[in-house]
Amino acid sequence: MTTTLTPAKVRIEFNDAVVRAFMLAAIAWGAVGMLAGVLIASQLAFHAMNFDTSWFTFGRLRPLHTNAAIFAFVGNMMFAGIYHSSQRLLKQRLPSDFLAWVHFWGWQLIIVAAAITLPMGLTRSKEYAELIWPINALVVVIWVIFAVNFFWTIARRNEPTLYVALWFYIATIITVAMLYIVNHLQIPTSWTHSYPLFGGAQDALVQWWYGHNAVAFFLTTPILGIMYYYMPKAAERPVYSYRLSIVHFWSLVFIYIWAGPHHLLNTALPSWLQSLGMVFSLMLWAPSWGGMLNGLLTLRGAWDKLRTDPVLKFFAAGVTFYGMATFEGPLMAIKSVNALSHYTDWTIGHVHAGTLGWNGFMAAGMFYWLAPRLWKTQLYSVRLADIHFWTGMVGILLYIASMWVSGISQGLMLNAVSPDGVLVYPNFVEVVTSAHAMMITRTIGGALYLAGWVLMIYNLTRTIWGTQAVNGVIEVAAPEHETPSLTFAAAFFNAPVLYSAALVVFSCIWMFGGSLGFLIALPGLILTVITALVHFETSGSTWGQWYERLLASWVPFAVLTFIAVALGGAIQIIPTLTLERTTAIDGIHQKLYSPLELYGRDLYIREGCYLCHSQMIRPFVSESMRYGEPSKLGESMYDYPFQWGSKRTGPDLARVGVKYDDLWHYRHMMNPRSTSPGSIMPNYPWLFTQNSDYSVLPNRIHVQQMLGVPFPKQTPEEIVAAARKQAEEISTSLHGKGVQAVPDREIIALIAYLKQLGQFEKIPAKK
Amino acid sequence: MQKSKAEPIDPLREHVYDGIQEYDNRLPNWWLWTFYGAIIFAVAYWFYYHQAGMDLPNEVILAKAKAEVTARAASLSKGPLTDDQLWSLSLDPATVAAGRLTFVSTCASCHGDNLEGKIGPNLTDQRWIHGGNPVQIVQTVTTGVAAKGMPAWGPLLGAKRVNEVVAFVLSHHKKGEPMVIDPTATASGKP
Repeated sequence: MTTTLTPAKVRIEFNDAVVRAFMLAAIAWGAVGMLAGVLIASQLAFHAMNFDTSWFTFGRLRPLHTNAAIFAFVGNMMFAGIYHSSQRLLKQRLPSDFLAWVHFWGWQLIIVAAAITLPMGLTRSKEYAELIWPINALVVVIWVIFAVNFFWTIARRNEPTLYVALWFYIATIITVAMLYIVNHLQIPTSWTHSYPLFGGAQDALVQWWYGHNAVAFFLTTPILGIMYYYMPKAAERPVYSYRLSIVHFWSLVFIYIWAGPHHLLNTALPSWLQSLGMVFSLMLWAPSWGGMLNGLLTLRGAWDKLRTDPVLKFFAAGVTFYGMATFEGPLMAIKSVNALSHYTDWTIGHVHAGTLGWNGFMAAGMFYWLAPRLWKTQLYSVRLADIHFWTGMVGILLYIASMWVSGISQGLMLNAVSPDGVLVYPNFVEVVTSAHAMMITRTIGGALYLAGWVLMIYNLTRTIWGTQAVNGVIEVAAPEHETPSLTFAAAFFNAPVLYSAALVVFSCIWMFGGSLGFLIALPGLILTVITALVHFETSGSTWGQWYERLLASWVPFAVLTFIAVALGGAIQIIPTLTLERTTAIDGIHQKLYSPLELYGRDLYIREGCYLCHSQMIRPFVSESMRYGEPSKLGESMYDYPFQWGSKRTGPDLARVGVKYDDLWHYRHMMNPRSTSPGSIMPNYPWLFTQNSDYSVLPNRIHVQQMLGVPFPKQTPEEIVAAARKQAEEISTSLHGKGVQAVPDREIIALIAYLKQLGQFEKIPAKK
Repeated sequence: MQKSKAEPIDPLREHVYDGIQEYDNRLPNWWLWTFYGAIIFAVAYWFYYHQAGMDLPNEVILAKAKAEVTARAASLSKGPLTDDQLWSLSLDPATVAAGRLTFVSTCASCHGDNLEGKIGPNLTDQRWIHGGNPVQIVQTVTTGVAAKGMPAWGPLLGAKRVNEVVAFVLSHHKKGEPMVIDPTATASGKP
């Protein structure tokens, strides 16, 4: 929709309709996601809130909450912010309205599909990657459509160079695509079920490379870009420092990727990966704070506006929470701190400092700023927005504080060993019940935050009610002087890039080269740093000129970004893929699942057991007393997907199979409180009425064989018969203990799986 | 490196993006040194653990930690108790009360609140599956009977609490009462 005014000037009307749509969707899905959060928080406070209903149970609703908050709420918010600001920063309308609307409706379709399938128990059980494969495929298609429309706008821009917000958008689009595709490689066994391409430790590594960087590149970089646009707009002040933007952008995107293994500290993961996860998390502290500084210091000279402008209030608080969470994160990534914090509520509190504080408040600030402009009107009530701010703030603080208290208590209690050499709290349930008050406080905090959100919905509804939507318009003159763009050669063969490349190469030589590598790498590293410093002192200004020309060359810029984000993952993941399975697995390998056990395992996944139970015993005295010997890599080598878990609301289950008998599990799944008084685990009555469908097994086993699991060759009939036979045996055993259990019921398969946990074979040492 | 004085006028960059201007301030020194410090730490950490050989296998670290705990515990313990000592503990109200607490939180879910048996066997009758002498009961509680679903409570509870809980069980029995060893007794308690 461009009309020529004069030969030199064109009038451009932005596509703000799609921005409005994304914004309204974000507001609505935000409410849904938060409501789901309050609900599952209440389930942890009062187990009766599970209502003995399969689709309403914590294990199925928790993924719904996380997916809604991340992809539905922040996703839609991000698209609104990116489309709105990019069109203005590039002085160009989105090239295709059609693609924009396909993006919008496609994304809403994905969300609705997720909201239907997750409560049904259709899940891949990888955190924030739970959706089943047909939805995964749709996500990829829609993301590519988004990317096409975005980069197409860049290609047709009327602004010679790229503003910092756009750097972050580019990094977001490229990296999310890379992470999402690799972590969703899988082989379907049916329309609703699949097994991932990676298993065991490899799956764990890939999953947390993805999981950590979903936080980085879905919840952080796009919001930083949004901060760089809306913060200076709202404050009407220049951004604090361009060169800080450069340094913190490149260090952030390069370093973030490496930090994934900090989710697997003190596990069986090879220790070099754990070390990388820890030290890169520490190195991430300063780059993260660079973003916070550039945000907060942009407010210099505008601090007084915080008193009157709710937009700036939300932004300033949001950026402060970002700073807090990005300090807490590296702290928790220190191995010894992690020994206390991991598997506890502390992590949950940390995540919510980021999502409620940073994402939620930045979103609210952006919506309050956008609504009056997109509908050309005034905000209905500044006072209501203030009340929203303070309600939300109290909500966040209650949430975080209660999770600190419960998380640190859990860590201390579970690790406590008395002087006479025994666990001080041998009974896990003691730890669970001690956190009850904090579970209630957290629910109240979440509810307050939601209440603030509802106030915003009311406020914005009154703001835009009865007004006319207005699209932004600019008049663009043809750029007077073209900034010459760089060729690929000039973009890559340049001092800063070459020095960075040298540092990475020498670091790799050190990491993988043993003693000889060290002897080569150390002088190499020192020499590179010194040369680079001297070079920068003498001709740093030419580096600056090079970078400004790079900003006029979006393709080389995007390629450099891709290389920066791809390196960390490649260097960590590729060596682990080539590990020889039988030798790398420290003398132990997992017993193969029987068909019935595999079926039970898929039920374990369906019910989301991994959300509260880990299967990874860490090498601590307390854990070896409580759960048994530390887990080894070989014990989960045939696990597709891995089930190490990330949270212990209940105890670890890696060796539970040798602890209790079938009758105990039978009663426990029927009513956990009958065997563990005080437990907050839901009842699973439907497992006692629903029948197993063994006919899916031959195909599932076939796919696992394709993945390299050495299942014996069996005909489909043999597989089903083997499952039947084992079910009969368990049923008979239960019968002998006075319980009538029909062999075909799901509970029997689940018991078969649980009884098998902790079974492994020792591999005779090869000489 | 020269020290920059507080500059009265920040350098503004020429270009304006949709009305947004950018300063080009120096990076704060404390920020730079935080970053450098973290990088130096990373290099040193890697050197210490992965070059200087301080990266011990999990088993070694755990064995060391366990040895410390056991050594400390050994200095406090008085060795295993005899049948007679356990019988006399069963007459000590304080020990029995402590044993009751452990029993209720740990054992009652399977053996019943009144030791009448539920998933695990009745503990008040005179039929014993794995032996009814106090020392044998301590043994059963400590190492468990994996095949029958009795967990090994020794590592979880420790010797002191195991003794207490056995004293509590014994308080439902009399020294010298007749005893039947019946390995076939089923788990479910019979009245």
